[in-house]
Amino acid sequence: MHAELESPGDQQPLELILARNLLSSISTPGFLVDKDGMLVFFNEAAGALLGKHYEETGKMGPDDWSRAFGPYDRKGRPMDIDELPLTIALREGCPVHDSLTLQSFQGDRREVEVSALPLVAANGGFRGALAIFWPTGARGKR
Amino acid sequence: MRLKIWGARGSIPSPGPETTRYGGNTSCVQVTLSDGSTLVLDAGTGIRNLGLMLAGSQPRLHILLTHLHLDHIQGLMFFAPCFRPQSEIVIWGPASPDASLEDRIGRYISAPLSPVEVRELPCSVSFREAPASEWEIGPARVQAASVSHRGPTLGYRITDGDQSLAYIPDHEPALGADLSRLEPEWISGYDLAYGASLLVHDCQYADEEYPEHVGWGHSGLSDALGFARRVEARRTLLFHHDPLHSDDRLDALCGAAARRWEDLGGDPACLEMATERREIDLSGGPTPAAARSGT
Repeated sequence: MHAELESPGDQQPLELILARNLLSSISTPGFLVDKDGMLVFFNEAAGALLGKHYEETGKMGPDDWSRAFGPYDRKGRPMDIDELPLTIALREGCPVHDSLTLQSFQGDRREVEVSALPLVAANGGFRGALAIFWPTGARGKR
Repeated sequence: MRLKIWGARGSIPSPGPETTRYGGNTSCVQVTLSDGSTLVLDAGTGIRNLGLMLAGSQPRLHILLTHLHLDHIQGLMFFAPCFRPQSEIVIWGPASPDASLEDRIGRYISAPLSPVEVRELPCSVSFREAPASEWEIGPARVQAASVSHRGPTLGYRITDGDQSLAYIPDHEPALGADLSRLEPEWISGYDLAYGASLLVHDCQYADEEYPEHVGWGHSGLSDALGFARRVEARRTLLFHHDPLHSDDRLDALCGAAARRWEDLGGDPACLEMATERREIDLSGGPTPAAARSGT
């Protein structure tokens, strides 16, 4: 890429960097995916929900992360990747809220509410999406 | 590629007897490319003296704005080439969802802040939002990328032959993050600055001042040096001095920077404080850091 040296990695766009920094600083579980749906980060609180730290899983493609964490709809049926809030936010470029059940790496299931929102740069470029999770019933309990 | 610093101050011009050595003009750097043409990085108040020096010798000019805070555009209204009919000026800057680059700059060059409007400038001026992909200006390849600061803000990398300049004057890459632990892909500005022949980087605050200014979009000394080490810049020029920092204060900061740089494994000869009117020739290899102590 540069005249003297090859960059050791493709730079993430600023909007994802700032979103990751935000998620790293809060206790609300959160996921971050890039514009291709690649899971590029989840924070410690999400790690506690899922039973693994991000450092253990690393990046995951959409098929991998959607299978790894369940998920199941309100009636307990497995959800297709196209139905997930993050996927809808990516596909349609709009915020999405839903309730679903996540499955941890240890097999435990947790009912959660999910809010996903697209990340669009100042120049209009689509960067990815961010999702935050609340355990169902946690609303109002701070 | 050669550089000349016309303004190294941040936030607001700070003229006076206590800032005579480092200078009080706000951000402006002249870059002379291998074909003799000129690029201008930012249009703080330092650009006024640059315009007087050019005296019509460069009818075609490119001005690359990192962002539109006043300390980076205030000199535009006093840049002599803007008032010469034979001048052709292209102004590059960040896109915004708010309005076009021309309209946003026009908020400054218009009543009641200005006696003239953009359309009244005698020169031929055009406004271009910096593209996401690399582009060419004369012999230089220019790359722009958004960096961590308040509001839409770019950093630039200019490559001419085998020399490269990374210019990131307003930057807080350590906001909410520990630079020493982040993977490169997650460091704001990393690709722009990686392996640059010269990195010109924000160092507005001493370390003890930074905690009071977290989120303001600027770097403390240790974060500026940590960034420079992470990106493996060959030389680093600390820039965008706080208006409250006198020459004596900057001398002390420079000494602290040299010690910290050595602690990080850097060569103090490759680090200096930006000083107004300082000239650096990147094609000639390392030059003595005459301004390191500000003397």
